[in-house]
Amino acid sequence: MSIIEWERDRVVLRLFGVKWDWAIEPRYWRPHIIGIGILFLTPVILYFVYPPLLATFIEGSLLPCIVLPVILMLIGTGRFNFGPQFFVGVGGFTAGLLSIHFGLGPWVTLLAAAAAGLLTGLIFSPLTLLAGGIYFALLTMLLPLIFLEITFVFEIFKGDTGLSGIPFLVNFPNFMLNQLLYAFIALALMLIYLAITDRVLRSRYALQMAAINDDEEVANGLGVNINRIKIISFIGPAVMISIVGWFYAHYFGAFSSITYLPITFMMKVFMALVIGGRGAWAIVLGGYVVTLIEVLLIRFAGDLSPILFPITMLALLLIFREEGIFGLYRKRHYRDYKPRFKITK
Amino acid sequence: MAKELLKVTDVYKSFGGLTAVNGVSFSIYEGETVGLMGPNGAGKTTLINLISGTLPVDSGKIEFAGTDITRLPPWKRCKLGLARTYQIPRPFPGLLTSANIVVGAVCGKDMTERSLMDAAAEAMHYLEIVGLFHKRNIKAEELSLYELRLLELARALATTPKLILLDEVVAGLNPAEADEAVKLIERIKDYFGVTVLWIEHVMAVLMKAASRVIVLHYGQKIAEGSPQEVARNPQVIEAYLGEEVNV
Repeated sequence: MSIIEWERDRVVLRLFGVKWDWAIEPRYWRPHIIGIGILFLTPVILYFVYPPLLATFIEGSLLPCIVLPVILMLIGTGRFNFGPQFFVGVGGFTAGLLSIHFGLGPWVTLLAAAAAGLLTGLIFSPLTLLAGGIYFALLTMLLPLIFLEITFVFEIFKGDTGLSGIPFLVNFPNFMLNQLLYAFIALALMLIYLAITDRVLRSRYALQMAAINDDEEVANGLGVNINRIKIISFIGPAVMISIVGWFYAHYFGAFSSITYLPITFMMKVFMALVIGGRGAWAIVLGGYVVTLIEVLLIRFAGDLSPILFPITMLALLLIFREEGIFGLYRKRHYRDYKPRFKITK
Repeated sequence: MAKELLKVTDVYKSFGGLTAVNGVSFSIYEGETVGLMGPNGAGKTTLINLISGTLPVDSGKIEFAGTDITRLPPWKRCKLGLARTYQIPRPFPGLLTSANIVVGAVCGKDMTERSLMDAAAEAMHYLEIVGLFHKRNIKAEELSLYELRLLELARALATTPKLILLDEVVAGLNPAEADEAVKLIERIKDYFGVTVLWIEHVMAVLMKAASRVIVLHYGQKIAEGSPQEVARNPQVIEAYLGEEVNV
């Protein structure tokens, strides 16, 4: 008996009396597992083939880590947060300042960044109860901009040069090996966020969140405690985004407000959300596409890239505004829930 | 004697200088179908909004099943057994028809242990009752007006209410659909033993379906009694047809 057998619809592997079989027919494939496999293989391939692209991979993995919480916030509060990078700043500065001034290690600052995200999320969560539509969008857009100004006013944030000398999360002598490890950590973070999002969106809370997104007054009348759901949906994602700020600080060993707090950073988040399309995996795809386009433009368009990037994004937005790139693959799932972007109210 | 389920006492509501509900008081008893009538702008929907908690009352008291609900938020009133439908149907358009009802089945009562599967199974039951089972897998935004009214009814029933507030359920329906809707509500009332407060603009519908009718005009209660009594009431006739003018 051979070790590997090709049967009509499957491959069978027999080893040490144990049998494994894999279905060949596409309908038995598990796209999630295949996707995760490809994502874990990519950094290894990049490491051996073209290591500079590892940085792009890391950036591409971190962008969905911001977009996924933004989506949870959008569905659960029924409001679009135009300034999620505020929490990136909260997490990054908390990690940076505590590392530099108190000598705390990355794992302690992780807890501190999460706690800072929780606290600021709690402080600003009443915005979801007080403001809606365009007002909520404007208020949340202003938060990171106010924070940006604060970082210029108070010396502790070191203005536009930002904080430096933050201890690295991984610090081996081989730079490329470090990059590979960072790629795996960023990927793990993204997969954890993907799992959290997936778990939340399959729960009974997702139904309540979707009801709030569609019509919070009706949801309230049907027994949904809308204030509780809205506040949790604001604070939870705020913590998740703050952790991304923590990662940025310990990945670069520096953290500057001018990099993360302006609206241009938000634009990347928004584009990853729209270009990817509907669904959590679409956002992952969107994150990589947006980061890759940015890197390619910097590489090939040089000084023109700051102008060409928004134009390219605009063009992609017009092309993929309905279903996103992922929609080309998943068009048949027309019954999936599509959260509403309610900017006017 | 049936138990008093809803007691509205001297309720006022103003919007700026306009008094929409002006010292209205009435009671509803278990098992009744009470009609709430009045010309356009009489304050019927405002009163429903006050009872369901969508709008806060300026003054007065609302009691439901012996509990003072005047300051309770709508979701707590729903858990006590108060459900409503809307004059212009307000489904969750992005959700499937079945999911719309599951929201009511999951959240409408204090059953934290209840799984989504249990709620979904219950939702199918309500869909079958209102005749929307075949539409369970399409989005609510794709339903017709009549189907949306049925969906709202099923969604309200899924919260297992004691009292349903129906806001002009036959508005915009053709006579055949309106007839079907009225029959369905009567059937549901008997089947689930719910009490109904039914706002309606079409007098003929309430004359047939209601056991008691309350008439509002300019925010004030001008008449209350059996449909026949109310139909003969001169104030009601005047409110609907206007004063007699000698030319």
